[in-house]
Amino acid sequence: MKDTPLSNCERDFLLKAIEEKKRLDGRQTYDYRKMKITFGTDYGCCFVDLGKTRVMAQVSCELVTPKENRPNEGIMFFNIELSPMASPAFEQGRQSELSVKLNRQLERCLRNSKCIDTESLCVVSGEKVWQIRVDVHMLNHDGNLMDAASIAAITALCHFRRPDVGIQGDEVTVYSPEERDPIPLSIYHMPISVSFSFFQQGTYLLVDPCEREERVMDGLLMIAMNKHREICSIQSSGGIMLLKEQVMRCSKIASVKVSEITELLSKALENDKKARKEGGRCGFAESMPQERITALKMDETSVEMTDVTERAKDIVQKTEAPPQLVRSPVVPVPGVGQVGQGLQNTWGLEEEDEEETEECDNSDEEQEEKVTKMEEEEHEKEASREGDVVEISDSEEEDVVILHPETPDKTPKNTESRSHQKGAAASKKRQKK
Amino acid sequence: MAADMRLPTIQKPVSLSVSAFDRKDLVVPGDVITSDTGFMRGHGTYVDDDKLTASVAGEVQRVDKLICVRPLKTRFNGEVGDVVVGRVTEVQQKRWKVETNSRLDSILLLSSVNLPGGELRRRSAEDELTMREYLQEGDLISAEVQSVFSDGALSMHTRSLKYGKLGQGVLVQLSPSLIKRQKTHFHNLPCGASIILGNNGFVWLYPTPEQQEEEAGGFYTNLEPVGLSDREVISRLRNCLLALAAHKVLLYDTSVLYCYESSVHHQVKDILKPEVMEEIVMLTQQKLLEQEG
Amino acid sequence: MVCGNMAGLELLSDQGYRLDGRKASELRKVQARMGVFAQADGSAYLEQGNTKALAVVYGPHEIRGSRSWIRHDRAVINCQYSMATFSTAERKRRPHGDRKSTEMSLHLKQTFEAAVMTQLYPRSQIDIYVKILQSDGGNYSVCVNAATLAVIDAGIPMRDYVCACSVGFVDETPLADLCYAEESGGVSSLALALLPRGGQIALLQMDARLHQDHLDALIEAAMTACKGVGKVLDEVVRLHLKEVSVLTGE
Repeated sequence: MKDTPLSNCERDFLLKAIEEKKRLDGRQTYDYRKMKITFGTDYGCCFVDLGKTRVMAQVSCELVTPKENRPNEGIMFFNIELSPMASPAFEQGRQSELSVKLNRQLERCLRNSKCIDTESLCVVSGEKVWQIRVDVHMLNHDGNLMDAASIAAITALCHFRRPDVGIQGDEVTVYSPEERDPIPLSIYHMPISVSFSFFQQGTYLLVDPCEREERVMDGLLMIAMNKHREICSIQSSGGIMLLKEQVMRCSKIASVKVSEITELLSKALENDKKARKEGGRCGFAESMPQERITALKMDETSVEMTDVTERAKDIVQKTEAPPQLVRSPVVPVPGVGQVGQGLQNTWGLEEEDEEETEECDNSDEEQEEKVTKMEEEEHEKEASREGDVVEISDSEEEDVVILHPETPDKTPKNTESRSHQKGAAASKKRQKK
Repeated sequence: MAADMRLPTIQKPVSLSVSAFDRKDLVVPGDVITSDTGFMRGHGTYVDDDKLTASVAGEVQRVDKLICVRPLKTRFNGEVGDVVVGRVTEVQQKRWKVETNSRLDSILLLSSVNLPGGELRRRSAEDELTMREYLQEGDLISAEVQSVFSDGALSMHTRSLKYGKLGQGVLVQLSPSLIKRQKTHFHNLPCGASIILGNNGFVWLYPTPEQQEEEAGGFYTNLEPVGLSDREVISRLRNCLLALAAHKVLLYDTSVLYCYESSVHHQVKDILKPEVMEEIVMLTQQKLLEQEG
Repeated sequence: MVCGNMAGLELLSDQGYRLDGRKASELRKVQARMGVFAQADGSAYLEQGNTKALAVVYGPHEIRGSRSWIRHDRAVINCQYSMATFSTAERKRRPHGDRKSTEMSLHLKQTFEAAVMTQLYPRSQIDIYVKILQSDGGNYSVCVNAATLAVIDAGIPMRDYVCACSVGFVDETPLADLCYAEESGGVSSLALALLPRGGQIALLQMDARLHQDHLDALIEAAMTACKGVGKVLDEVVRLHLKEVSVLTGE
């Protein structure tokens, strides 16, 4: 099914927020979302949560005949599956552009950088080698699939144990895990990809875009590095024009992020190893958080509070002093602004209308509602004086005789377009009821 | 059946006179035309940092304060009054979409065509349903540009008896920049055929009709077989057109006629051979120069 | 793993010569021709060393087929990259449709969307087809260069030329314009598509390990190489312009 398009308001809001260096979830521009790495019961199964993006990688191996031009090297095969489970925008079966892009990027990031020693996967040169297959499944798409996929893939590869093989002469025996402990793959380094998204023709840049931010971005730069500060792959996508300085800056940021992520990764692997050794419970089922329905508890979202006090002060300053409370028994017509009490209406034109409405409204009012009306009027006058508070009424009931003027903004439809004017004018329009 | 084969030869480079090298008005994309901000920018240019830069490869044309760059080759950019020859691609509600070698398909509204029989009446719903009887997908028509929509699509009309569906003939598709703008684009050549030089580069050659069909309204196509002599004339004209186009000669009735005359002592099929083409075109250009000078 | 030896072949000799006798920053010979096809709106043929590519551009024209691609504010660019079955040493089974070709097509599309001024042609489509006739390294770069010439030939407005070149890193030296032997030798290679006048990068792609400190030098070398290619393309376009204007007698 086709993705619902992003509304213009949302797009403008996101872009404006980015210009002010604010993100939807309160992160800083170079912050990653909360990352969680868990492992399944089998070796080689790994889940990565990057905020709400959830990705699963599974490594499996098989003995096959090697390629002709590389007889003593094992084969690595990568596959990323974008199923409709991750997002309704993904279609089952069709190889969409995004799927091709992600697949190729993962291949380049992991295969071309030679992070795995393929020669150690050779069993019998020219006849039997191990084919390592990494399948990455997207479980939930909330932006930045590439980073999550790369982390999941490399973690799964580090976690994976392949069966031990014994060679006696011509015979090759594959030992099952019970007979001999499976051996881990020999991994030279761990390439991790970091995605940078660019906005407004490259003026603003964000790390780890969430799904909304991805929709409004101009383009993406993916840098894959390892903790030794070696760049394994760079790929720019989307129709953006970059400058060399931007690329250099991104690579510096990427090196910092990659070292953080690699630490987290190693810690997760360590923990899992310990847990397995102690015979503790491990695996997918255990790693699922206990989200009971009775406990309606969510993580606190951080709210941007830095300039709240300033903005509040501004707003308070802009509002004028409330008018004096009128104690007279003559209740002014609801909707009449007290710009000056008892002054003549200087607008001239609507004098006749005004008198008519005054009379018909006055006849409806009751004395008891004076006080409540006053308060409401004051509120409404406050609001009207703001100038930037817009009262738009869709009500068509202009002909209804108003008994209780709690909702004094039953203005005729034609004033909606003019409701952007300042307080006096807005209140004047309301006289035309 | 004779077949002609030849190995590819190195093309002779076009002889460039010294003056050609000094031409300052030929620009390529990215060239700065001027840094003066007093000029208005026209087609083919864009402003980059207060500098007027060319965005196509072509010739700079300056009219007073307006600077534009005309590319060598471009799709047809229609203007009001242009005669075009196009092919119907779609039949939609109350209009036909016609392909005219421009960047968007042109539109022929139902209200802009002459109904068969020449009636002048309001188009009814029935007319809408029987649109396909007038013009179907694949039909070739000649029309005139009435107006240009805001997105660049052309709106055409066939409100004259000389426009309408085209019958038997030969269509030659060339580049629009080779067609010279003239007062009339319909010519009855003295060699015995008629030609419509569409501004969009599509040229239609057809046998001169004996009598003018007054009441046809442009929808009646004559499907009687065309005689051999007419066919030969038309084939020769077509090959001449291709020869002129290959050498980028501006096409108008005089140039086509001169080319036809220069090719008379060659066989029709020989005209497409490179050396014969060159010879004919040179003769044509000579004749044209003589005529001007 | 930056090695200069691959099965006995030295990618950069001590005197500074490469496998084909070039120096480290020397480009291969570039020869190009514009307007090779009469029926296409724009076409070009480009040779860079032994890599030969043919590019054809159709458009801008009405979007045929699926209406869902229509963009109301700009033109859609549709690229297709394919390799002739005889272009590589071993016959290619799948000339197009496999992942690598699709990825290349996407990259080409992305490159030209950045450079072509598509806002001038709303609701239309521009098709760019590139075919590699002989592959000897630097496929992407040659495609981009050929396509640039074809787009200029078609008279479609562009901000600037798009020049592309690949560079590799061997023995602390950047090598410009890699050939196939150098590319497959496990050398870190970077492909860059650049708009020469503004120095803006339209596409940056790098494979294999490279230390971060060398990145700057490598990108610089790539930009210099691209500008060199840009100069050659410029000459070709100007010559073509003069030839055609002489013919039309303007």
